[in-house]
Amino acid sequence: MKHSRKTRLELLADRQGLSLAARLNPAASDLPHQVTERLRAARERALASRKVQTARAQGAYGMGGSLALNHGDDDQMGWLGRLSSGLALLLLVVGMLGISEAQNDLRARELAEVDVALLTDDLPPAAFADPGFLQFLQTDDL
Amino acid sequence: MATEQELSGFLKSVERRAFKRAAYQVRDEEAALDIVQESMMRLAQHYGDRPLAEMPHLFQRILSHAIIDSLRRRKTRWNLFSNLSDLTVGQSDEVDPLEALEDLIGHEGTQSAQDALEKTQTLKELEFLLMQLPERQREAFLLRYWEEMDLAETAAVMGCSQGSVKTHCFRAVQALSKALKARGYGS
Repeated sequence: MKHSRKTRLELLADRQGLSLAARLNPAASDLPHQVTERLRAARERALASRKVQTARAQGAYGMGGSLALNHGDDDQMGWLGRLSSGLALLLLVVGMLGISEAQNDLRARELAEVDVALLTDDLPPAAFADPGFLQFLQTDDL
Repeated sequence: MATEQELSGFLKSVERRAFKRAAYQVRDEEAALDIVQESMMRLAQHYGDRPLAEMPHLFQRILSHAIIDSLRRRKTRWNLFSNLSDLTVGQSDEVDPLEALEDLIGHEGTQSAQDALEKTQTLKELEFLLMQLPERQREAFLLRYWEEMDLAETAAVMGCSQGSVKTHCFRAVQALSKALKARGYGS
């Protein structure tokens, strides 16, 4: 009995509460223009802030794979970022050319050293005792 | 994850009611606009990657916290207003709350009262009375009946038990009904 009475009281209060609140509805739909404009501006600002957050998160996530070559569409990177990326690329190309040139030079030096050693080396005395070598010296083709 | 269009649509659908709710609670339209803006920003920045279905509950919680923060900052202004304590029905044994509420509402329900009133006049009066309610009663009333949250949701947002929500709601309804009747809007 007591329980049903309490339930009835709660139901009655809820019904009355919903009815009273329903009378407030026009207050939310008939707002002054300046208020609706400020709400619209606030909404747009919130959406823009979400965009920035998303772009930053994506930028941080992709850094490992793409390093300096990834400009993306992030305007915050700006000309400074692009310039530094370009400089890094230029340094890389110059470095590779330098290494290639140094390697070519080293190989030429090694070959020259072998040639010099062969040409300036004294003939061992035993060579003149070798009949084959003598035959070689007398060959007209030499 | 909610798309940008979905988030925009959601914010658009709740911004006006959020503004009015904040305005009723803090009783200051400028502060209410700031609160709604702050709530939208927080939702977009911190929870913008959540599914659309989670947005209403998250937004209501953020809004409630923003309102509470604002009220704490502006506590001193509360002294400028009177409240409805003198209109609240006492809890003495002499008054039967069920009979009192039935008497206030009338046996025909609220429909007859609505018919007898000019809507605009009722709205203004009701808004005025609502803003005179004690803070927790007003919050419970707005969440439970205006935002149409269930008991559990309201209790979660308010950070209290469901029993407390029922008590706040009941007292708010009693006070509003009695005040409206005293001003000639009752049946």
